[in-house]
Amino acid sequence: MPTAVSSTRRAVADVGHLVRFRAGTLRRRRASVAALAGFVVVTLAVATVPGLFPDAGGDGRALDLLILLPTMLTGFLALAIVSATASGGGRELIARDPAAIHPVSPTTDHLGALLLAPLNIAWLLQAWTLIGVTSYALGTDLRLVQAEVIVVLWLVAATAVAQVVAWTIEVVRRVRHGIAWIRVVGVAVLAGVLALQLTGNLVAIFDQLPTRRVVIGMVADSAWRTVLTAAVLLGAFVVATALGAVPAHLAAHRTPQDELGVETGHYAARRRPRSPLTGMVRTDRASVWRAVPMRRGVAVLALAPGLVALAGGLPWEQLTVLPGLVASGGALLWGVNAWCLDGRGGLWRESLPVEPGVVFDARAYVLAEFLLVASLVTVALGAVRAGVPSVSELTALLCTVVVVTVQVVAAGLRWSEQRPFAVDLRSARATPAPPVVMVGYSARLALSTTLTGLVFSGLARVPAWEVSVLVAVPFLAWSTSRLLRTRRLWVDPVARARVVTAVAV
Amino acid sequence: MVDVRGLHVRFGEVEAVAGIDLQAYAGQATALLGRNGAGKSTTMRVLAGVVPPSAGTVLVAGHDVRTQTLLAKQAVGYCPDVGGLVPRATPWEHLQLSARLRRMDDWEPRARDLLERFELGDVAHRVTAGFSHGMGRRLSVILAALHAPDVLLLDEPFDGVDPIGVDATFDVISDARARGGCVLVSTHLRELAVQACTTVSVLRGGAAVATLPSGEMAGEEGARAYRGLLD
Repeated sequence: MPTAVSSTRRAVADVGHLVRFRAGTLRRRRASVAALAGFVVVTLAVATVPGLFPDAGGDGRALDLLILLPTMLTGFLALAIVSATASGGGRELIARDPAAIHPVSPTTDHLGALLLAPLNIAWLLQAWTLIGVTSYALGTDLRLVQAEVIVVLWLVAATAVAQVVAWTIEVVRRVRHGIAWIRVVGVAVLAGVLALQLTGNLVAIFDQLPTRRVVIGMVADSAWRTVLTAAVLLGAFVVATALGAVPAHLAAHRTPQDELGVETGHYAARRRPRSPLTGMVRTDRASVWRAVPMRRGVAVLALAPGLVALAGGLPWEQLTVLPGLVASGGALLWGVNAWCLDGRGGLWRESLPVEPGVVFDARAYVLAEFLLVASLVTVALGAVRAGVPSVSELTALLCTVVVVTVQVVAAGLRWSEQRPFAVDLRSARATPAPPVVMVGYSARLALSTTLTGLVFSGLARVPAWEVSVLVAVPFLAWSTSRLLRTRRLWVDPVARARVVTAVAV
Repeated sequence: MVDVRGLHVRFGEVEAVAGIDLQAYAGQATALLGRNGAGKSTTMRVLAGVVPPSAGTVLVAGHDVRTQTLLAKQAVGYCPDVGGLVPRATPWEHLQLSARLRRMDDWEPRARDLLERFELGDVAHRVTAGFSHGMGRRLSVILAALHAPDVLLLDEPFDGVDPIGVDATFDVISDARARGGCVLVSTHLRELAVQACTTVSVLRGGAAVATLPSGEMAGEEGARAYRGLLD
């Protein structure tokens, strides 16, 4: 008779087996080892270098950041909750179908999702920001080491707590009317936060956040206070990790309602498409907008940054950073492995009498449309409190949206052609590529689109609006040439057959 | 109708098809039999224009699949061995897309008829992601047969299909032969291949080792002969 202890031991051991299995399937092991080494180097750098800046640990900006640290810690927790909730409880260590033949328990699944949570560029960037800010706030103070230990403990504890919340929300989503309840609660929470912001009470709440005690523990002179804080965070991590298994089990025994809705729903016949391109676009659109991970993902991507911009009252020149982030996130939902949309239907589609260039154009169009929708919703939300823009600001923002969309479409389709993966995107937990590959893709996308956004943010301050257009031209020319090169590769039957047979396995 | 000479297909270091010669004729149904990895599905993919040949000549309805790929695709109806369905599209949307790309005008009555014959009429507007394996196979056969192609390529059409689906597939093959189409059926199920086809080609190690009238593969004698060809 298995006991709770023996079951937990078995679940932990199974996580090890699955990690080794996944590690064994890595095609580019050297790149993975280099990425791991890069992660360690970057983490050590952000933990130490900001502390060496001349004004680090001082009473100016460093002190301001120390005062803001409780809010930033809470922000990390909120982001971890949103991320884990959007992905239906977190990422899968092994996909659902291959896992079905193995006795993988929901506890193993939960621990695997927890382990994979940091393999996400949003998580990594936030974590590095917190570590870097702590370093800058304390400078070369001897308390830096203890503070960084506390920050790391906060990162792991908050991730585990977010996992519990995400599993619990997933359980509610899987009961009758659960999706409606979650939507109502979600809208109420958003409305509450917006109301607090608009009435000027949000800052007062930020000042009272319980995470202040964590920061006090970080900078405390007495060792016992620091040890107590560390012990509480460690305890929270252990308790949350154990507790997460409960809703994970409950969720595992219920059918995902949204997937069920898609698969049993009735889709009325539409009139005959006007052209082959229209027919292809229509099929691709259905593949995107009927997929649960895409719908959830794009909703979070479009709304979250837009609401942050709305609440924070971001000015127009800073809004230029948002479309790049949103487009990057949108591509990571499916655009980096765009041909996996057809799944096993790829073989049939490839046998249809249509020019391969038309197939490529349709996929590029639907990806661009998907990214534009998300970006424009974000910009529209951000624009509510940004006032009336100048012509320069508006031109810079529009140029950013167009440039980053073409940039991301070109990169996504290039990677889709270079490294196709057979992926089933039915589940909200599915990702279009393995976790390590996704980290690489997201880092590259975030870097290029953020830099582009910053360039146009600067140009928004230039009075002559024509400058933004002139700068956008070489950006667009470069991305378009790369997109056309990928198209030429796709038209080659040998290259295309390699992609189609890979995703249709 | 189908003329394959010296077909080679290589995927990197792996040679999936190693010099197949195959002829199939109008009004005939030819079964491709062989063990896993014999090259049956790869040959079918080449005939469907999905995978280009590495070497050799492949003519489908008089069109070279390497140089006249689109014309060959217009002549072919293909049921792939795995899945073959876009997960989040409905059967009707599959049929509509196929009809649009093949410039078919009056396709709806035939589509409805095929859906009813394969007992998929009730799920014509549900996405295929929720289909059972057998339902997916049946829909793949319908998609291959919709436009009454000159060359009908059915790769594992009986796999996991119930008796009603098997009978409906037999009917599709008979219809195709009756109107002068050429049918190729790849399957592991020897007895069904014998029932459905007039000729059997046995593939081994990526090459054709024998082509016989299907009657010679029937019953116990046929089973022994088949095993002999596989060893």
